Amino acid sequence: MKNRAWLFLVPALVLVSLSAFIPLMAVVNYSLHVLVPGSIPKYVALENYAEVLGDPFFCGAVKRQFCFTFQVLLIEIPLGLLVALCLPSKGKGLTFCLVLLGIPLLIPWNVVGMVWRVFTRADLGVVPAMFARIGYDYRPVEHAVDAWWTTVVMDVWHWVPLVVLLCFAGLQTIPDAYYQAARIDGASPWATFRYVTLPRLRYVLIIAVLLRTMDSFNIYSEPYVLTGGGPGNTTNFMSIYTSSQAIGGFNMGYGAALSVVYMFLVVMLCYVLYTLMLNIGKGAEPA
Amino acid sequence: MGIVVENVSKAFEGEPVLTDVSFEVTDGEFVTFLAPTAEGKTTLLRILAGVERPDSGRVFYDGKDVTDVAVQERNIAMVYQWFVNYPSMTVYENIATPLRACPARLAESDIDDRIKATAALLKIDGFLDRLPAELSGGQQQRLALARALAKGADYIFLDEPLTNLDYKLQEELRAELKRIFETREHGAVVLGSPQPIEALALSTSVGFLHGGRLVQFGATDEVYHNPCCVDVAAYFCHPAMNLLDSRLVPENGTLRLVVTDELRIDVTEFRDRLSEEEYVLGIRPQALTMKQEGEVCLPVRARVELSEVVGSDTELHLDHRGTSLISWVQGVETFAPGTELSVYLHPHRFFIFEKESGQLVAKTQKD
Amino acid sequence: MATIELRDLAHSYRADTDAADAFAVRDVNLTWVEGSAAALLGPSGCGKTTILNIISGLLRPTRGQVLIGGRDVTELAPRDRRIAQVFQFPVVYDTISVAANLAFPLKNAGVSRAERDARITEIAELLDLTGVLGVSAGKVSQADKQKVSLGRGIARKDTAAILLDEPLTVIDPKEKYVLRRKLRQVQRELNITMIYVTHDQHEALTFADSVTVLDRGRVVQVGSPADLHADPATPFIGYFIGSPGMNLLKCAFREGALDFGCFSKRLSDDTASQIGPHGPELNLGIRPEFVETSKEERAGWVCMEVRLVENMGTHKVLTLGVNGLTIKGRAPDDTSIAEGASVWVDFPEDRIKVFKGDEKIL
Repeated sequence: MKNRAWLFLVPALVLVSLSAFIPLMAVVNYSLHVLVPGSIPKYVALENYAEVLGDPFFCGAVKRQFCFTFQVLLIEIPLGLLVALCLPSKGKGLTFCLVLLGIPLLIPWNVVGMVWRVFTRADLGVVPAMFARIGYDYRPVEHAVDAWWTTVVMDVWHWVPLVVLLCFAGLQTIPDAYYQAARIDGASPWATFRYVTLPRLRYVLIIAVLLRTMDSFNIYSEPYVLTGGGPGNTTNFMSIYTSSQAIGGFNMGYGAALSVVYMFLVVMLCYVLYTLMLNIGKGAEPA
Repeated sequence: MGIVVENVSKAFEGEPVLTDVSFEVTDGEFVTFLAPTAEGKTTLLRILAGVERPDSGRVFYDGKDVTDVAVQERNIAMVYQWFVNYPSMTVYENIATPLRACPARLAESDIDDRIKATAALLKIDGFLDRLPAELSGGQQQRLALARALAKGADYIFLDEPLTNLDYKLQEELRAELKRIFETREHGAVVLGSPQPIEALALSTSVGFLHGGRLVQFGATDEVYHNPCCVDVAAYFCHPAMNLLDSRLVPENGTLRLVVTDELRIDVTEFRDRLSEEEYVLGIRPQALTMKQEGEVCLPVRARVELSEVVGSDTELHLDHRGTSLISWVQGVETFAPGTELSVYLHPHRFFIFEKESGQLVAKTQKD
Repeated sequence: MATIELRDLAHSYRADTDAADAFAVRDVNLTWVEGSAAALLGPSGCGKTTILNIISGLLRPTRGQVLIGGRDVTELAPRDRRIAQVFQFPVVYDTISVAANLAFPLKNAGVSRAERDARITEIAELLDLTGVLGVSAGKVSQADKQKVSLGRGIARKDTAAILLDEPLTVIDPKEKYVLRRKLRQVQRELNITMIYVTHDQHEALTFADSVTVLDRGRVVQVGSPADLHADPATPFIGYFIGSPGMNLLKCAFREGALDFGCFSKRLSDDTASQIGPHGPELNLGIRPEFVETSKEERAGWVCMEVRLVENMGTHKVLTLGVNGLTIKGRAPDDTSIAEGASVWVDFPEDRIKVFKGDEKIL
């Protein structure tokens, strides 16, 4: 047999089917039924989907999700890049910074939520104390604005290090010659950044954006622990809404439909961002 | 004994890479396949070695059909452009690998002897305990050659092994390759290279690949002196042959091929073979000299575009009334671009090719 | 346009400068006059890239001075030296067009729009880039990218010199000739100082009028291509330049002749008196193309066996030997000399070079 090598893929394929492909098909199947534990599943074709599209809570959650993802991207990507540019390129200082940056990434996500709950506790928390100093009445449990921005800041705290690490790795791959040429051409630091650094970081930034988009769109544990979705529906993200419907509300068919629509939205968003980023600034083709 | 290839063809994603290639390599030969990069040399070598299977056609080793035999089961060795060696093993261990992997269990002492002998042959016996990364490029390539030779394989395939070396190293290793392979008692060596010099200096037979076809195959001297068509003549000439469009003009009872007023050659002796109006005249750069030599040479005035110093000689790129000419001059002669000078055309060293098909129509004895 | 001078230059990449091999380059004293086409030639590790980086200002030398146009620029930053550099792999700003690339240094220098456009048209014509001015620089061929790199270097009229660091490394073999010609053409037309750094003698000797050969951090010889070929200062240069390199044979000077062990060559009185004082242990250098061969026996010539004949197309290279001695010689391409034959060999006196160790005597 000429290509015995293909057999090496079988274990991986089996694992992927069991952990991803088959459950995915199962969920699609559930979404076409009314599924309540204890009763017989009833096939209702696309009725669940119609309900989803008309559900005001769902639409609210979608809007919130897009808002959140874009705000978070807007802060994390530039901030991460900035920090990466400021890191020393080698030596003990670098090791120290990398370790410091790595810590938030190592914490289990629900613990992140817990940590921020402690940060923002009215009696013990660091954050309310800080706001008290500048005279702002900080109440995340009651005020929607406070809760929202706390969630955003928490996500930034948690995930900026990932962007920093990706950008830092990307910066290391830029050959010195480009910076030398820019120096010889008399380019200002901004011009160097714009014409040398940014174009060479294109693919790294694509990865960072895609990863952050997918993860922030799927955010669940941290806000769930921090605010439980509240106050009201302020931080009721799609994931929280879906799980509350499927598991809390015992409406698994509906929850499954929500999941499928959710997945579709993430995929579309990623595709758009990927295409955009791949082609920005590529310029004219030769004749 | 030897390799026989019958009608081998191969296409990648619909694009034909090799079409109907057939030839024979007899035992003891050193064959070079000459072609510019990406014209099928590597594919042909891979098919010969057994790494790749042809879409159609058969390959025979010593009379046995090996087309479907996996490369591990054939007794061959291959050396690549990129000095492929096991990076974590010492030089000694590297040469030992093919000996330890072969089915015939050799005694350790035999293996040791063979390793030392091969290393001495390739002049790396002083580095036996070093890692490949600690060797220079030339030494790493010698190590790759040592691994190939130690195996004692019947057939060795070399894919542009000298391309990534410094020109001085290329020169050294070229002389050595000839010496090394002459010490083998049997088997054949097949080399793929884009450089005509390697074909000329090393091989007994040459094959020229163009457009996926084996345009010409034969003894090196034969192919060099009797190229069957323009493509072979142009490529298998170092420096590149001058190929000039010319008109056939009768003149006072003689027949001449005229390129320009100054550049005209008497071709009366080939009158019965020339029936067209236009031909391509092929002149080797060494037939355009700086001095009048022996026979009366025709002066041609030209302007220097660039004088390239190659080794110990000069390739003079000239412009003669819009026609580009290359003249080969012995010694280092630097002329500033723009200099006007005269070169002398040897009247009895040329090739005549048909304009349409490119086939060789006539040539002089001297070439 | 300016004269570039290096005075007592030395550089070490290591902290302790006392060790014997601490210096990557040392004792470098070189001058390149305005408008020179120069080359820095040497094998890898000889220090040529170090010198290049010192000239352009990307590296500050441990000792010594760099002068451009008479001014000491050793402490000046690269952007203030007006030196352009073309690297081994094409360095272009690939998100902007070729025209914008060429305009970049001009823009940074504050040149007006109209002047910029005029200059770009001029340069594009000189470099044959007019057709791709509007194309994004990342999408043109490697050769064109190198031309863009060069174009940025010559854009500013006050550029003092252009440094080229093995610029043809990643260029397609077919396009190398075109680029080589273009570089020579640009150099002559603009009469601008260009210093070409390479390990390839073909490129160095083709481009430059003045070649500086470096070995292990030191300048070994400076001269025109013909000079280096005909009159190498050390055996190393004799070997490095020319293909095949110069033959080097150990010999001893005895009684007016050079003794090679198995034969000896009588010298004229003139030559003998020049060599005599330098003692017995010498090396004879002679280029393969000057070794004379004959099928018939001749007085004073030595009989050697033809061990190898290499066909080079335009000529043949013979490896000749007698006892333990091996040399290379040349024969015309239509020679009938074959392997195993015996030929009579001589070294004409006017072509031999004599070295004692690394020093040239004759």
